[in-house]
Amino acid sequence: MAASVRVILRFSKENVDRPITSQVILEQGTPVNILSARMNQQGGEILVEIDADHVEGVIKAFRERGVTVDVRRLIEKDDDKCVDCGACVSICPMDALTFDDDHSVILLEDRCNGVTCGLCVDTCPQRAIRLIG
Amino acid sequence: MNKGYQSLFKEGKDLNKKSSVERSARTIEEINEKIRNGDVQVLSVSEMKELVESSGVQVAFKDVDVITTGTFGAMCSSGAVINIGHADPPIKIEKAWINDVPVSHPGAAVDLYIGATQMSETQPFEYGGGHVIEDLIKGKEVELRATAYGTDCYPRTKLEVTLTKDDLNQFQMLNFRNGYQRYACATNGRDETIYTYMGKLLPKYRNSTYSGSGELNPLSNDPDYETIGLGTRIFLNGGVGYVIGEGTQHSPGNGFGTIMVKGDAKAMDPKFIRGATFTNYGTTLYNGIGIPIPILNEGIVHKVAVRDEDIYTNIVDYGVPRRDRPTLGTVNYKTLKSGRVTIDDRSVKVSSVSSLKKAYAISETLKEWIAEGRFYLTAPIERQPTDSVANPMRKPKGLAFVEDVVHDAVTCTEDEEIEEVARRLINRNINHLVVVDAEGKLSGIVTSWDVTKSIANGKGALSDFIVREVHSASLNEPLETALRRMTEHNISALPVTDGEGRVTGIVTSEDISKLLGGGRFG
Repeated sequence: MAASVRVILRFSKENVDRPITSQVILEQGTPVNILSARMNQQGGEILVEIDADHVEGVIKAFRERGVTVDVRRLIEKDDDKCVDCGACVSICPMDALTFDDDHSVILLEDRCNGVTCGLCVDTCPQRAIRLIG
Repeated sequence: MNKGYQSLFKEGKDLNKKSSVERSARTIEEINEKIRNGDVQVLSVSEMKELVESSGVQVAFKDVDVITTGTFGAMCSSGAVINIGHADPPIKIEKAWINDVPVSHPGAAVDLYIGATQMSETQPFEYGGGHVIEDLIKGKEVELRATAYGTDCYPRTKLEVTLTKDDLNQFQMLNFRNGYQRYACATNGRDETIYTYMGKLLPKYRNSTYSGSGELNPLSNDPDYETIGLGTRIFLNGGVGYVIGEGTQHSPGNGFGTIMVKGDAKAMDPKFIRGATFTNYGTTLYNGIGIPIPILNEGIVHKVAVRDEDIYTNIVDYGVPRRDRPTLGTVNYKTLKSGRVTIDDRSVKVSSVSSLKKAYAISETLKEWIAEGRFYLTAPIERQPTDSVANPMRKPKGLAFVEDVVHDAVTCTEDEEIEEVARRLINRNINHLVVVDAEGKLSGIVTSWDVTKSIANGKGALSDFIVREVHSASLNEPLETALRRMTEHNISALPVTDGEGRVTGIVTSEDISKLLGGGRFG
């Protein structure tokens, strides 16, 4: 797959029961890859991956249907607080937190599942990781 | 060389003198002379290992005077002694808090000890003694509160004052147990996430953690304590410190040696000392320790050539809340640093909770200090034990485990008549019946309340009101964890099962309460 972008789709009580994701896929003619989801009748959120070439159209299509689309960063690591211990590395199911060649802990945002996961946040002994959004 | 410290002193051996037995040797005085002259040959411990591998022991001995080790990790038995000076009128402090963290008061009027694991009373589990020490080192202002009963010579009973490290007469790190030679690799076999001092451990061995810098660790490079002992000058948290003897739980006999250290905290660097918090465990302190190892003879070269693949540790199941946790295998530091270990025939992610990057930085910084003539070596004036093993505690008073309070469970099977079940509850004067299958395995639980309710409602079949999702306990489980599970799920009994799920007894909150009523576990 070519370069892709991860966004969070937030559904409300009003639109959660409509097949919006399927409609957008058909309308835009591009896959919307669902990485993780947390939903119930009250609404919820899905983390999806969209082909970078189609991202603008897809986001517009979701927003037209009343879905909130969040393209901000998912997890923020404060490198001044971080001591590169690695407590977050083994816990990350996506290998988004990993060691660099110089033993620094780095966050690869394109792998991160963000708010739908969040396992790393309370793992950090320095409280250097926080969820955004 | 591998002698206990007592025999060593009987022989009156002086480490600072050339031994006539050694074919060739250098002394600490000679090395210090070279540091003074600016021509000392100092390598980081990693550079030394490479040199030994490429050029051999003899060349490495000839070319290198001293090497520098390093480690940076959470060390709970740490803290700082402070003296805050006398107020007017003076106070003999009975209780004190800094930034709401209780600071203990072990001695005279205004001496306090800031323990790393003491937690703030207003932000517990987030801010603690380790953070207070870090804040003071950073030059921040802290708020001290104290109370006292008042005496003729110390009339004051209350004190509130803002302090920085410049206001302290003494601010000395005094760490009882630091620099563990190696540590266990932690994982969790339970079916729930647990939070430990080794970090967050996911259920069913889904991750694992370890601590320590392996081949960079000071004690792993001097396992016979030839150069590290009382009086050894070290890098401590970015400042200068000293080894002041064996650490608590020093256990060199099984490869878990430790050291006790002190150092002037006013001169420490916040880059190398950090307060920390482990969720649901508490607060602690990351210390950075670097120890120079003088290359006094070829024997020492052999020892500092040790590699990660030679340093083994156990993989331990922290899911079992006992002193002797089950060992699931052994692993060396090379594998630990690779990021994957094998547990239960599966490849499991592993990462450190200490910092290898900082350990390298400490080793490099100490190397610079020595090369620049800012740090001189000292010989230990007393050796520490090389073969002792730390003992566990003598058996404490009272009862501690489920097996201490368990009694036989009265059971029934699913196909029994409800009247029969009701009779059994009454005859045996109990409230819980454990439902078992044909093999005696746990399949549910029935309470007297359930039976009463069903009779009142005219419902007939036992199977209609069996609770099938049952929480259970095991015989060797601490009473506290069993009690916690009952409180958490608002239940009053736990069937006790063996490894195969067969019912071996029952433990009730009533049993435990009776014991608690007479004092802590009787």
